[in-house]
Amino acid sequence: MASNSIKLDEIRESRSELENHHIDELVAGRISRRDFVRKGAVIGMSSSLLAAVLSACGSANNSSTASSTTAATGTPKQGGTLRLAQQAPTAAINPLTISDAGGLNMLAQTGDFLILDNNQLLTLQPMLATSWTPSNSGSVWTFKLRPNVKFHNGQPFTAKDVVYTFKQLADPKNASNALSTFTSVLTPDGVVMVDPMTVAFHLEAPNGNFPYLVSSDNYNAIIVPDGTDFSKWQSTFIGTGPFTLKSYTQNVGASFVANPNYWAGKPYLDSTSFTFYSSQPPQILALQGGQVDGIVQFTAQGAQSLLNNASSYNLIKLKSANHRELSMRNDQAPFTDARVRQAVALTLNRPEMISALLLGYGQLGNDSPFGPRFPSSDLSIPQRAQDIAKAKSLLAAAGHSGGISAHLTTEQYQEIPALAQVIKADAAKAGINISLTVESQTAYYGKATYGNSDWLDAQMSLVDYGDRGVPNVFLEAPLTSNGSWNAARFKNPTYDSLVKQYVASIDLSTQRQIAGKITNLLLQETPIVIPYFIDGLTATKTNVHGVNPTSISAIYLNKAYVS
Amino acid sequence: MAIFILKRVGLALVTLWILSVIVFFLGQILPGDPARAILGPLAAPNAVHALDQQLGTNRPVLTQYWSWISHFVHGDLGTSYTYDSAVGPLVWKALGHSLELAIVAFVVVVPLGILGGVWAALAAGKRRDRVISILGLSTTVLPELVTGIVLIVVFGIALNVLPFSATWPPGASLPTQLYHLILPAAVLVLILFGYIEQMARAGTIEALNSDYARTAILKGLPRRTVIRRHILRNSLLPTITVIATQVGYLIGGLVVVETLFHYQGIGSLIVNAATAKDFPMLEGGVLVIGIVYMVATLVADIVYTLLNPRIRFQAAE
Amino acid sequence: MSVDAVSVESRAAIRSGRQQDRNELLRELLHSKTFLIGAGILLFWIVAAALGPTLVPQSPYAQNLNAINRAPSGAHWFGTDQLGRDMFARVIVGARDVLIVAPLATLVGTVIGTGLGLTMGYFGGFTDTFISRFVEAFLALPVVIIAILGSVALGPGNGTVIAVIGVIFAPLIARTVRSAVLLERQLDYVAAARLRGEGPLYIMFVEILPNVLPPIVVEFTVRLGYAVFTIVTLTFLGFGIQPPSANWGLDISTNFGVVPAGYWWEVFFDALAIATLVVGVNMVANAVEQAFEP
Repeated sequence: MASNSIKLDEIRESRSELENHHIDELVAGRISRRDFVRKGAVIGMSSSLLAAVLSACGSANNSSTASSTTAATGTPKQGGTLRLAQQAPTAAINPLTISDAGGLNMLAQTGDFLILDNNQLLTLQPMLATSWTPSNSGSVWTFKLRPNVKFHNGQPFTAKDVVYTFKQLADPKNASNALSTFTSVLTPDGVVMVDPMTVAFHLEAPNGNFPYLVSSDNYNAIIVPDGTDFSKWQSTFIGTGPFTLKSYTQNVGASFVANPNYWAGKPYLDSTSFTFYSSQPPQILALQGGQVDGIVQFTAQGAQSLLNNASSYNLIKLKSANHRELSMRNDQAPFTDARVRQAVALTLNRPEMISALLLGYGQLGNDSPFGPRFPSSDLSIPQRAQDIAKAKSLLAAAGHSGGISAHLTTEQYQEIPALAQVIKADAAKAGINISLTVESQTAYYGKATYGNSDWLDAQMSLVDYGDRGVPNVFLEAPLTSNGSWNAARFKNPTYDSLVKQYVASIDLSTQRQIAGKITNLLLQETPIVIPYFIDGLTATKTNVHGVNPTSISAIYLNKAYVS
Repeated sequence: MAIFILKRVGLALVTLWILSVIVFFLGQILPGDPARAILGPLAAPNAVHALDQQLGTNRPVLTQYWSWISHFVHGDLGTSYTYDSAVGPLVWKALGHSLELAIVAFVVVVPLGILGGVWAALAAGKRRDRVISILGLSTTVLPELVTGIVLIVVFGIALNVLPFSATWPPGASLPTQLYHLILPAAVLVLILFGYIEQMARAGTIEALNSDYARTAILKGLPRRTVIRRHILRNSLLPTITVIATQVGYLIGGLVVVETLFHYQGIGSLIVNAATAKDFPMLEGGVLVIGIVYMVATLVADIVYTLLNPRIRFQAAE
Repeated sequence: MSVDAVSVESRAAIRSGRQQDRNELLRELLHSKTFLIGAGILLFWIVAAALGPTLVPQSPYAQNLNAINRAPSGAHWFGTDQLGRDMFARVIVGARDVLIVAPLATLVGTVIGTGLGLTMGYFGGFTDTFISRFVEAFLALPVVIIAILGSVALGPGNGTVIAVIGVIFAPLIARTVRSAVLLERQLDYVAAARLRGEGPLYIMFVEILPNVLPPIVVEFTVRLGYAVFTIVTLTFLGFGIQPPSANWGLDISTNFGVVPAGYWWEVFFDALAIATLVVGVNMVANAVEQAFEP
């Protein structure tokens, strides 16, 4: 590509080795401009730097350097209230322990993270951290913090607050939900204050995607003042965020007012209110009836009355890593033979599943966690499709020309029982006879440890995995030899080492190369089947602009306005 | 009279205590684990264990029961494991919703049932009587599920005149709330109408055939006056009995109606607490229903005694 | 005459008397319009459950993901559901689960209830009071709540439903049996049996039980309707049989979420089917009750 080499060299002089390597990739054409921006943001390159490099590399329009949210039509209008409907939080609002969709959105209203994972642009943006750099090995990440930020009570924000927050989140004694992200990655001792505006994280092992782990993806990680008692957080909702708490009532709703001193500028809205619902139909009715201006997140099934009238609403569709995973016990007959497992995967008509179960709002899954949401996914690998003849011949080759029988256990959750029935019907076409058990979630998960959980022990198990910003946790826990969610009992040393390499690698093209190898290995071995990824859906009235929803069911309203 | 009341109250308390024990130990055999329900299925086992310690769910069962019951008698219903806030307000709010629905249903069905029963009795044996009775009885046996669905499909979808979600917008005025309660209340009315109508009818027929009534009519009193003065009171007696026996159902047994119409009543509260193994919430909810039921039965007994001259005179002797 | 001879003769007399009663009973039933209509409905559903899969034009399990949520039409009289399955076939076949579980559950409840009632009625005194207290505490709770607590404890499935309903019905049936036993207890043949030296179990089950059968039979038929009611409710709430079984309560619970989208046929016909079955069973129960009334 054309390049203004002098300008480029100027920029490069002051950059780190890692950043220069990343720029090399762009110059050599090994990554696209879009990926350059995404990955550059991950390793801490500011948006102005990225723009400068891109313009030095020849012009091309790209909107991805914009740090604003969705393009607003017209000038933002000041004032007004936005009323949204959302799932009721199912537990106390304690930043450490929250694990449900309704609760985590509450944290996002008054709290800020170090980094924002912008799900609409699929890029990382600075929030309370202005820049971040890895050491060359990738095992120490240093974050520079934003100056002149105040908590809602006037107290200044400093590194001490960041250190306190992460020490609490990573401490096993606190039973935090964030431990599922930080175990084997970060310990409390690894969080170190370098100076009042700089924090360093010393990781247990090199991790190229660490910034995602302290971003809004890790929804428990809002920054609170040093010394906060988390169990009492619900009464103040203290944070540095764009809104402050006005009131919160269990099972009813919450309301917030704009924080005039917000570091990114006062929000356009004067106030926001959230009404809690225990199920989806009343939310849809409320939006249709005009009692609310939007729904934070909903599933396609059951929302036909909205989706069939899509032109009357703003429908925001987000690529997400939310998926369903079908695991087969690799250590039990008949699934000890990879050919049998492949046969199962080949019976499924995935496009039909997406159109019938997700009403078209989904992306094809290729039996590996590397879905279209992740920049590091290698999407050039051919997508597996239905092939009944091949499935039958594989079964015959494995000695099962008469067909096989198996038992599938799963949970009563969203469209999963329907998916199980579709899988049963599809598999029957190749002579695979599957009987079903659908349990309540409590019964299905049991104690969530091997030997005490239908989810982990069933011969075939179909489970849901919510959205994440990086595939790390999907690669490790369900599939590595020591993973704690390995329902498939998949033990493959090559896979384990590939995953280690992926996690440690820092530049995008290496990540993608390894991702390709992993995907091919998984297609070959097929320990699990991932038929699709589910889009995240948000709907608002047409006069609502600037909302920034995430596929994890949080919504950011600091740039929202009602016209 | 006072002794009678005291005896009944005493019996009621004993029954309530047995109920609390039954529910508590039933809660023990429910599958699931409070800490895991709070932290979600993917949380690490040591995190779950730590939270269990904090909540005190690892203590011996008897200790937990004793701690709970001693607080309860002081009016402290404990703290919900899931919501980490007092059980009391949550239970009262749900109870309030259930009461609102029950009152709306009662206000409609009691006059309707009594009028229907009296009217049928006055035409006893004729076609009018048979039609009302058959209608009443057939809707009584239908599950709320069926009545609810038919009403939703007909009035909510096909005719589109009534809201089929009872979740009203927060801060809604009373008329709006009542508007949203029309369909769920209609389901309850259909179920209870038959019982009340039959009772009123039987009571009216008996009263009509009594000596007093016949004498009054022979003396020349217009039938309407006889009905008003004497018969209505007699038909009220069995109606009160029916109402009392239905109170327990109307307050806590409406899980299906609450699910169909997305209504946060105490039935749903209990079911959710059971699924989440939230003991304090579960026991609080169940005992409150038990208390409501016992109070209703007691009140009905007392009113029945007061209204029924036979028992009153017996007690006075 | 010896005591034995008397009892043998009187027993024979009672038996032949009963035979006459039974014939009269049958005649009365067959003349009752209520019984005939109710039995007719029951018969229809029994045939549907037994022969349904062979009689319906389309399979209740065949999915067609390209024809989901279609309204009733010539091709699908009751429309299709969310996986494109024919609703008409599902409604016809859906009777099977209820028709198997309801009688079983009622039987379990009746057996336990009879045992309880016999014990309470025969022994009286402290046993009676003690059990009565328990029963009353139990019944202070709405039936649905008890059913749900039991179902959550035992996990979903038909076995649970049968156990839960059996346990709920037992005290209700026990009460009726108890009253009947209290009456019988006073009669001569019981005293005679005691004099003969028979044990309490013998007296309860061999002497008294046959004589309290009529109210038990009535209770059974009355409770049967209630069993259908409760089974459908429990299945709707998610505690009964699991997918992909074609089952009325389950279909309603699965498809209920899409009703606001206008897909009313996915629940409406199931609800009507339930209604007809419940009404039919109750009609039969009513007729039986009337027939047994002296």
